[in-house]
Amino acid sequence: MKRSRAGALHPAWMIALLILPILLGLAALCIGRISYPLPEILKVLAAKCTGGAVDKQMNIVIWSIRMPRILLAMLVGAGLSVAGCAFQSLFSNPLATPDTLGVASGTSFGAALALLLGCNLLGVQGIAFAFGILAVTLTWLSAAGKGRGLSSVVLAGIMIGSLFSSLVSLVKFTADTETQLPAITYWLMGSLSGAGFASLKWGAPCIAAGILVLFLLRWQLNVLPLGEDEAKSLGSNIRLLRIVTVICATAVTASSVAMCGQVGWVGLLIPHICRMAFGNDHRAIIPASVSLGAAFLVVVDTLARSISAAEIPISVLTAIIGAPFFIILMRRSRGWRL
Amino acid sequence: MRLEIRDGCFGYRGGSPILDKVCLQADSGDLIAVLGPNGAGKTTMLRCMLGFLKWTSGDSLLDGKSIRSIPARELWRCVSYVPQARNFASASTAEQAVLLGRNAHIGLFSQPKPSDIDYADSLLYKLSIGHLAQKSCAEMSGGELQMVLIARALAAEPKILVLDEPESNLDFRNQLIVLETMTELARQGMTVIFNTHYPDHALRRSNKALLLHKGGQALFGETHSIVTEAHIQDAFHVRTVIGEIETDERIYRSILPLELAGEASEIAPDTHRIATVSVILRNDAQAMQVNDILHEYSRYLVGRMGLPYRKAGVHIINVTLDAPQSDIIALTETLGRIPDCSVKATYA
Repeated sequence: MKRSRAGALHPAWMIALLILPILLGLAALCIGRISYPLPEILKVLAAKCTGGAVDKQMNIVIWSIRMPRILLAMLVGAGLSVAGCAFQSLFSNPLATPDTLGVASGTSFGAALALLLGCNLLGVQGIAFAFGILAVTLTWLSAAGKGRGLSSVVLAGIMIGSLFSSLVSLVKFTADTETQLPAITYWLMGSLSGAGFASLKWGAPCIAAGILVLFLLRWQLNVLPLGEDEAKSLGSNIRLLRIVTVICATAVTASSVAMCGQVGWVGLLIPHICRMAFGNDHRAIIPASVSLGAAFLVVVDTLARSISAAEIPISVLTAIIGAPFFIILMRRSRGWRL
Repeated sequence: MRLEIRDGCFGYRGGSPILDKVCLQADSGDLIAVLGPNGAGKTTMLRCMLGFLKWTSGDSLLDGKSIRSIPARELWRCVSYVPQARNFASASTAEQAVLLGRNAHIGLFSQPKPSDIDYADSLLYKLSIGHLAQKSCAEMSGGELQMVLIARALAAEPKILVLDEPESNLDFRNQLIVLETMTELARQGMTVIFNTHYPDHALRRSNKALLLHKGGQALFGETHSIVTEAHIQDAFHVRTVIGEIETDERIYRSILPLELAGEASEIAPDTHRIATVSVILRNDAQAMQVNDILHEYSRYLVGRMGLPYRKAGVHIINVTLDAPQSDIIALTETLGRIPDCSVKATYA
């Protein structure tokens, strides 16, 4: 694999990574309960701009059902992957992800709580974000000090994660069994079926902003894993950098969770595939994660909604792919460094 | 550019003082060794000096300005820090690691420019580690990694270079490579300050030394007046002898630990001795340099002879001094730091 100088992405790769999610998105538009050939799809897409006459049913399927869902999958996939990258850099730990750090559980609890209280999507995001920050801070503090080694961060994350998971159970326990409980349970399993342009309007800006800031910070993410003195001596404002990174990565996670529940493992899987392919420079890994994350989740979601008659929760699929991958990584991680 | 520590004191809250009234002045071209037994606070001293830790009293000043008041990006373009290599964990390539050193020249939301990459690459070649450019730091030997870390520090184009135990855990040859690099940088006008476990390296390389004791006291001055048998015994509680090893060109002073001991007895008085210092040089510029150095010792000179030997392209200088022995040692050490200069002193 050809790398451009000093670890940045080669322009050819840049173009390939730009095109890949678009192609997969188009393919996903074709596939579903009703399949459409690609030329028809393109005609419908073109008609939106030019205003030509198209089949009414097809127009609804594409613009109201598949399109928002695919956009959501791309955003969430890209967002969770970049958040994973950022957390790995922040903790200088290859196993740090929204899931392993307990951030995902924290935001889930916040979101479940907000659902119980009957908040709107903005409120759900806000409360999810607050608890996400709380969870990552708790993990940071529990694992801080000299023992901030590979395993202690993950162990602390597991503890904080299980703490919030039990709080989620508590929320479920108090929820109304007729209406709220099924809603929370299904939502927790993760599904993009609720996607619509109305909900995208609330959630997308937050994810997009988080991705954009982390993308702009991609060079600084190389400095972040270094020791405190070392990072300082390179002229970086390490505290500010940490705070901005935590806020962005957590905000992205919180918005994703608020919109489509806990979609696990993406933040681990994608950054590591990018590391294997493009080396250790975040100038390459961040853009690659955006692209491959988006592509991955579009594919998985398309599988989730078309493999069987009933839709499979997406987190089930990501876990089936992610868990074995995590185990392989754990086994390899002796000497695995950022 | 002048880096100065004024009465730096440091101790962790509730603990006994680790550093007590440390003073240090570092000017352009100085190569300064920081010595002391394990636990005397050598690394702590460097961290306080650079502002990573706050002196409990006293201050570090860069050209008269408190180091903690200088904006980070401005400070770290003048000063570079090479941490201990054994704490370094990264799988990035040498080229990427060195490029990181340009960070103080790169804005928060900016990326390195092609000129930054070129500068990083040129440094790798300058330090003769160009072949490591694409090698992962995780797979490097200690010597390779140390040179990469030095290259990374130099990438900021600093005027002051601070190294934490740069030659620990290295073999003979790699120690020499690191020490030679530091010596050369100082010769080019950089201020180089390094922590070391080896009094020998201080004796051989540095022109100034800071000797830290357990319990906080610190001695700072010209190396020949700091690295003495008595002071080393005081600091390390080891009886040593500083001997001389002669080659065809020079006499090298070397320190040999003999036995464990208590604190030093009386410091022997500095006696006046008569000695002839013979110097053989390779070029005219060096002869001028030697004349300048000798000028500082003119009050001790009793005889002097200078002779250019054109056919062989060498200069021969002979001076006889009646001076305190420490000054004679200081003179030969200073002359010995000139490249390709043969120096010997013969005592009466």
